[in-house]
Amino acid sequence: MTVLLLAGLLATVVVAYVLHPVVAGRWAPMEREVDELTEAQHRKRVALLALRDVEYDYHAGKLDDADYRKQKSQLSLEALTALDEEAGEWRTRFDASAHELGEREERARREEVEAEIAALRASIREGTVCTQCATPNPLESRYCGECGSALPGRERARRGT
Amino acid sequence: MIPALGEFALWIALPIALWGCALAFLGGRWLRGDLILSAERSTYAVFGLLFVASAGLIVAFMGDRFDYWYVYNYSSTNLHPFFKFSGLWAGQRGSLLFWALNLSFFSVLAVWLNRRRNRELMPYANGVLLAVTSFFIIITLFVTPPFEQLGFTPSDGRGLNPQLQNYWMTIHPPTLYLGFTAFTVPFAFAIAALLSGRLDARWIEGTRRWVLTSWFFLTLGIIFGMRWAYEELGWGGYWFWDPVENASLLPWLVATAFVHSIMIQENRGMLKVWNMGLVVLTFLMTIFATFLTRSGLIESVHSFAQNLTIAWIFLGFLGVVGTLSLGLIFWRLPLLHSERQFESLLSREAAFLLNNLVLLGAAFAVTWGTMFPLITEGLIGSRVAVGPPFFNQVNIPIGLVLLALMGIGPVIAWRKASARNLKRNFLLPTALGLAVGTVLYVAGVRHHYAWLTFTIGTFVLTIIVIEFWKGTRARARIEAENHFTAFIHLVRRNRRRWGGYIVHVGVVIMFMGFAGSAFDREARESLIPGESMSIVSAFGHEYTLTYQGLSTHQDPNMWRVIALMSIQRDGVEVGTMTTERQMVVAPPQPITEVGIRSTLFEDLYVILSTLDEQVGMGNEPQHQRATFQVLVNPLVPWIWYGGLIVAAGTLVALWPGAGVPTRIPAPGAGSGTAPGAERRREEASRPERAADPAAPVG
Repeated sequence: MTVLLLAGLLATVVVAYVLHPVVAGRWAPMEREVDELTEAQHRKRVALLALRDVEYDYHAGKLDDADYRKQKSQLSLEALTALDEEAGEWRTRFDASAHELGEREERARREEVEAEIAALRASIREGTVCTQCATPNPLESRYCGECGSALPGRERARRGT
Repeated sequence: MIPALGEFALWIALPIALWGCALAFLGGRWLRGDLILSAERSTYAVFGLLFVASAGLIVAFMGDRFDYWYVYNYSSTNLHPFFKFSGLWAGQRGSLLFWALNLSFFSVLAVWLNRRRNRELMPYANGVLLAVTSFFIIITLFVTPPFEQLGFTPSDGRGLNPQLQNYWMTIHPPTLYLGFTAFTVPFAFAIAALLSGRLDARWIEGTRRWVLTSWFFLTLGIIFGMRWAYEELGWGGYWFWDPVENASLLPWLVATAFVHSIMIQENRGMLKVWNMGLVVLTFLMTIFATFLTRSGLIESVHSFAQNLTIAWIFLGFLGVVGTLSLGLIFWRLPLLHSERQFESLLSREAAFLLNNLVLLGAAFAVTWGTMFPLITEGLIGSRVAVGPPFFNQVNIPIGLVLLALMGIGPVIAWRKASARNLKRNFLLPTALGLAVGTVLYVAGVRHHYAWLTFTIGTFVLTIIVIEFWKGTRARARIEAENHFTAFIHLVRRNRRRWGGYIVHVGVVIMFMGFAGSAFDREARESLIPGESMSIVSAFGHEYTLTYQGLSTHQDPNMWRVIALMSIQRDGVEVGTMTTERQMVVAPPQPITEVGIRSTLFEDLYVILSTLDEQVGMGNEPQHQRATFQVLVNPLVPWIWYGGLIVAAGTLVALWPGAGVPTRIPAPGAGSGTAPGAERRREEASRPERAADPAAPVG
């Protein structure tokens, strides 16, 4: 008898626990977390990982100069494209939440994200990708081997900034 | 009272699991958060109920409740409490409940960890998890009820199979089950991705750790099983290609293929359909393994011969899941197109694909050999079993190809590697491998497979050591760190890559341990106390074993006859060893307890084979005649050390916080994982400093 009572109590508690959200209209979170990667962010991350591998392979002597330049160029462009998409996602997100934030806070957040994206973009460009013709260049180059343009990252480094 | 409550809990769990399963799918389809929350609560509740049910069964074991069929058949009053506790997974009925409990535990973890993440996937993933759990609860309730009562209470139980009365019994099955059940989570995520249409690489990202967790437990489970066989079965080996051993190997082979091929999808956006197929296949293999182990369909040393109804139910489940999964993949084919094509056969992608094909080839060969008795029974009416020679003949060459790929894969670059670069990277490792091979040949090693294993193994180890050295040296130079610190930081920056390399080191060492079996030495002699026997190991050490005499010992559940041997190695006394014959009382069955003396390079393995009939008649030497089988197994300890290294490497790759770049590794700037924009901006303005040697050093 005691067992039946306990079993009944157990069943009641479990059923009440499980049914409560439906009866009380309580919802599970349906939205993405802010720090959860979006598709564009994920693609960017994958491109960054691939770039890291290419750099490692090159410096470990697994890639020829020509292959390295080709792959670095391709992946840099992929990363830049994903970065543009991400910037678009951020703008959409800010536009959508503009009414919830104060003007100052919204501007501050926008600036922070844009600065971050600019820094990322710069970190690609400081590398071997020519900003004029998108040709990758050897690491020590000061000027693009394809079009002769000064490589911006190198110029800045020379200026000591 | 508690066992009865456990049975009620099991009955309550079924409708709750079915309810949750239905609501999860409906909630995902209709985007109804209340239904989704109710389904998630069902997952938590089902775990609680299965926990109560399992606790009820354990209490029944501990309380010697022989009125329960399951307890009566797998326990006895004099069984050690340790083994009474593990009675939960000693037989078919309890182990299926235990399977459900494990799966439910992982389901709770998956749902809780994703309570605010992957929200588009989670309703479907939870639905799949609850569907699989429901299947096991249904089997447990209606086909193999662990709480079935006899209707009377026997005075004692039939006891636990003596071979299961070993401490590995409490470790090996749960570890393997954790591996089997953990893989249901990646499968659930894969199906959720197919159902929701969110087929980008994020579902793989969300399940990567689950895959590695499952692989970790599967690997450990298999190694523990080998150790158990080595210590307990008393024939000197660790792997017999027994159907149940094979069953544990199958999901491991396919999961290993998946662990490698997901990297191609993540890095190159390729092999999406292939990866989906591998997830489904691995899951099916885990169910198939459970089915082989617990159906009694194929006889084995693990045989728990049961009724075959359960075999048909499992086959039906496998068929339904396989068909539905394939249908879903086919439906979503347009979303699963590859983003790139293979550019060259000399690339890491191609090496990984070859690795996949070889692993699946091995899985096919093992499945074929394991199922061969059933196939022949269907075709010619009688069972023809294939033994270790078949499996060795097929799998040793496959293993050697895999071994070579472990060296080739990391050195070949993604996309395309030039012949010149390959030459540059392979020259030293190949030269060292061949040098070791030559030395071994001169030293008299003529066994082809063993020679190849050591030669290729050296090649692979050299490549991995060079990889570590290059990385550590570059990092030490760039960061001005000492080499040890640089090494630790190097691994921390990209745990997945370096953890994987550590796993490879462990696997190479294990393979060398396997190859050692080609040089086993064996002797067998009948001795009376005071007499000696000698054996020379493959390494040239002479062991002299002197039989000192027998003693008997009465334990609650067994009668033990213990032989004492003193051991000399190359004429130097190194100690004593014991080896036993045990007669278990319930169920009455003799077993052997071998004596093992391990050094770094070889095991001395002593089996008390037979005892003279007059043993126990007196203390005179002639009444204590016994036959000893002595083996010297070279390199067997390397299998266990290698296994430890594999486990450590997997943990390194699994550990949270693995370094992933969030910014482009510009030349001289390194790849950072800085959490905030400030730090990233600051790093971007320091192009002269590289944080990771994976970044350029020029």
